[in-house]
Amino acid sequence: MEIRITKVGIVSCSGEELPGGTLCRQACRKVLEKLKPHETVTICLPLFIAGGEEERTFASNYPTITVDGCEKLCAAKATEMLSGKPSKSLLIPEILKKRGLALPTKLRDFGPEEEDAAQAVAEEIAKAVDEVLGED
Amino acid sequence: MGKKHKKVLVLPCSGIGKTYGTLAREIAYEMVEQVRPGTATLTCLPLLIINDLNARHLITENPVMTLDGCPRDCAKKTVEALGKKVDRPFQVIKFYTAHKELKPEGITQLNDAGRKLAKVAAEELAATVDELAGQEK
Amino acid sequence: MTEFLETVYDKFIFRVKDSYLYHREDFWAFIQASVATIGVTDFLQKARGDVAFLETVESGTEVKQGSEIGKIETIKATFGIVAPVSGKVVEVNPEMEASPYLINQDPYGTGWIYRIELTNLESDKAALLQAGEYFELMKQKIAQEARKLYG
Repeated sequence: MEIRITKVGIVSCSGEELPGGTLCRQACRKVLEKLKPHETVTICLPLFIAGGEEERTFASNYPTITVDGCEKLCAAKATEMLSGKPSKSLLIPEILKKRGLALPTKLRDFGPEEEDAAQAVAEEIAKAVDEVLGED
Repeated sequence: MGKKHKKVLVLPCSGIGKTYGTLAREIAYEMVEQVRPGTATLTCLPLLIINDLNARHLITENPVMTLDGCPRDCAKKTVEALGKKVDRPFQVIKFYTAHKELKPEGITQLNDAGRKLAKVAAEELAATVDELAGQEK
Repeated sequence: MTEFLETVYDKFIFRVKDSYLYHREDFWAFIQASVATIGVTDFLQKARGDVAFLETVESGTEVKQGSEIGKIETIKATFGIVAPVSGKVVEVNPEMEASPYLINQDPYGTGWIYRIELTNLESDKAALLQAGEYFELMKQKIAQEARKLYG
């Protein structure tokens, strides 16, 4: 008896060098822990890149949503290289612009403004999850 | 006398699934912002895979330290996959085993003990940064 | 014959090694002549997380099946090492002090914990499961863990 649940893999950029990367991590964790805990699985990007069997197998068999902190689109490109085109690719500067919010300027120690930005991004990711699962 | 390195690249794994991924990231930030600003430097790990030229140049031209959050050693393996040997690989869980009173918790945000552990670890790693920066090119 | 039985939950692959025997508390025993090598199952190491410390008993210690013969502290929890068989500890994996993460990296191989000289195998077998039996038990445990996480 196989235990199978339909879920979406969320691939967050790790973006160590920029505030958008930290925001990306926070937003993705919000989705995983609070907004869509039953419908999402985290794909650890470094493990994915380094050859993690479970990450790559999941990403090959299930839909993925990538979330990038900048226009270099590392999560989207790496996912496409290693397992196939993601179902959706989100870009944090675009989301924040749409919502009228500023990009954080700090790499860590986020305050209320950055928390609001993380919540806004998390809501967009959650919407994308619904769209992807609605399509399947 | 030969030229010395000006920068030392510190690469945390930033694993999103575990507290120790967050700890690795926090240690790297402590090193770059507080303990050895100007010498310790960062780049984004995934840039190496998507063939970003600046990131690749940083790896090839400078000594590299990796900070991995678990035994999968993703940061170390990513660098080695590009044909570069990591000068000093570290597993951050070993900082916890050496400082059991500072148990890190939380993935999105580290707890106070985790933040303290990050500071302690960064101070302990400063000597490694100095050693690598002092090596001749 | 495949080396492992496998099941998948979310992105996690759980393995049970085919030639080993299993205790219900998620410890395995590999019997060779009168010695058992023992360790933690893949399910348990995944469920409990990365190993930070191990506390082990010394070589020469007499152990009874089902008794606690040490502790494992992971980043998530501390739990006892349960003896799947009775006997005398003849070797503690020397790699465990410096590299306890071998339990996570290779739970059925280099992550072994003890070698035990058997004293009561025929009687102990009544409480041990074949790989296929443990595989079914493991799937139930995975479902229980998922219910705890997701409700």
